[in-house]
Amino acid sequence: MAKQAPRISRVSEIKEILKLLEGTDIEEIELEKGDLRIRIKKRGPAPAWFHQSPPPLISPASEEKPFTPLLTRPEKDLGPTGNLMTITSPMVGTFYRAPLPGAEPFVREGDIVDKGKVVCIIEAMKLMNEIESEVSGRIDSILVENVQPVEYGQPLFLIEPI
Amino acid sequence: MFSKILIANRGEIALRIIRACKELQIKTVAVYSGADADSLHVQFADEAVCIGPPDLSASYLNISRIISAAEITNADAIHPGYGLLAENSHFAEVCEACQFQFIGPSPENIRLMGDKAAARKLAMEAGVPVVEGSFWVVSAEEEALEMASQIGYPLMIKATAGGGGRGMRIVYSPDDFIQSFVTAGSEAEAAFGNPGLYLERYIKNPRHVEFQILADKSGNLVHLGERDCSIQRRHQKLIEEAPSPALKQRLRERMGRAAMTVAKAGNYTNVGTVEFLLDEKGNFSFLEMNTRIQVEHPVTEMVTGIDLVKEQIRLAAGEPLRFKQEDIELKGHSIECRVNAEDPERFIPCPGKISRFLPPGGPGVRVDTHCYAGYSISPYYDSLIAKVIVHGVDRQEAIARARRAMEEFVIEGIKTTIPFHQRVFMSPDFVKGRVNTGFLERLNANPASKARN
Repeated sequence: MAKQAPRISRVSEIKEILKLLEGTDIEEIELEKGDLRIRIKKRGPAPAWFHQSPPPLISPASEEKPFTPLLTRPEKDLGPTGNLMTITSPMVGTFYRAPLPGAEPFVREGDIVDKGKVVCIIEAMKLMNEIESEVSGRIDSILVENVQPVEYGQPLFLIEPI
Repeated sequence: MFSKILIANRGEIALRIIRACKELQIKTVAVYSGADADSLHVQFADEAVCIGPPDLSASYLNISRIISAAEITNADAIHPGYGLLAENSHFAEVCEACQFQFIGPSPENIRLMGDKAAARKLAMEAGVPVVEGSFWVVSAEEEALEMASQIGYPLMIKATAGGGGRGMRIVYSPDDFIQSFVTAGSEAEAAFGNPGLYLERYIKNPRHVEFQILADKSGNLVHLGERDCSIQRRHQKLIEEAPSPALKQRLRERMGRAAMTVAKAGNYTNVGTVEFLLDEKGNFSFLEMNTRIQVEHPVTEMVTGIDLVKEQIRLAAGEPLRFKQEDIELKGHSIECRVNAEDPERFIPCPGKISRFLPPGGPGVRVDTHCYAGYSISPYYDSLIAKVIVHGVDRQEAIARARRAMEEFVIEGIKTTIPFHQRVFMSPDFVKGRVNTGFLERLNANPASKARN
């Protein structure tokens, strides 16, 4: 059954705002329009994604705090993992390796990352959520493919803490 | 017709919905929390998505996670089951906005009937008898007290956003009124996010008789007869039967017409249940309308031969109602027992691991359950283990089958309410059909009715 384009028009409003910002040297901006409030923060060379206040259709009470990926010991079926930690998905959505199609991925296998580094995006309900590493370490392996649907708790990365 | 339905629920009802989908050749997606990884509905569905940790607000009540799961699996429709988000009009709206058909009534239906005071007003204006009381929410204490003296004591203070027996208080004398009114308001606010209260006369030990409604999107409705759900403990139903031993055909027709009048007045669609209180003299009054498939729907299925969940799916897909009122025939008698993981005398929940599970069988016995030997009933969710539904050619045979089923059913490893059901089916009052909402109290007061174990 073919789906029509979503009626959520806020996404296109926000895209317009992003386009406007791109050419400027504005680092951070907060906008309020009616019941929509967004904060956009540019980070380095990669264009910034944003956390949007949920549109009124989605109950604010059910929105959880900023997304903390779950760190667990890897399960047995991942093979011998030594002291590796697993970064698992804190939500249901689609996994993206890079900020935009065709752009450089956030991390590659072998990269050393600091705690707080964005390692991927998980898109849920048209919102892009940056997932940050909870530890500093070396990315040992990337367990999912670009544009793969992921569930809550699904292992995404193996990281060797340093 | 839909190609894929996501079931936004768990336990036995999730399994029930999956079964209906299989028969309609519709693919299914189960969602589950970390505590339900071993659950049967996860095994039976074509696809399953883990949506969160055990906590309800992070999983089965989390609208964005459920919608995300529907998006990544490309579901067409979402079935909310009962409880959880089934009567959450906001959830129904989000489903629509995200292009998923919500399998149930419209958000407006849910909103209107979910406001219990407004639903009473609708019924009253449609000419249906309602329990005496206020037709709007009363906020000022003095106004409420004045109204209470007009209604007379004892009376009930009820939460307008409540329902299903929650958010209710009985007040016996004017001296207690203000105090009860104030605390009921804060309880309502805490439990339902809405402090609104209305007042109703208190009817002692009525029968609880409800009518099943089916409606399509073109305004055609039928009722599928009644269910008698008088055996309750603290307003939680324990045993239900269809038809009601208290109804003869004329009363059934009058109440059925009243039920359809309420549903029509609310432009109702899909499945719903209109609840009435029935007194000993055969006077009935509208109580509330439930805008979901109900736990006890199987007894109606047994006596009508109609698969209510399949009809729900068809109606949600826009199909016209397949029956006229004259097509609906009630055959035989059906009784349902809700077997819970609870102490059979004090009804305290007892979660734990089921070591042995042998459900009853044979003619006229149906078991709707998500449990099996080795399964653990977790403390996070409700304590329902299984619904045992029997059907017989008449009430006598149904009772004989219910007794047999409760004797055959073996569940070890946890406490269950099976002994309670055994007592009920041995009780002379039950056998004679002398059942109202005071039944359980009388049963407990009678030491001779203890089960032989």
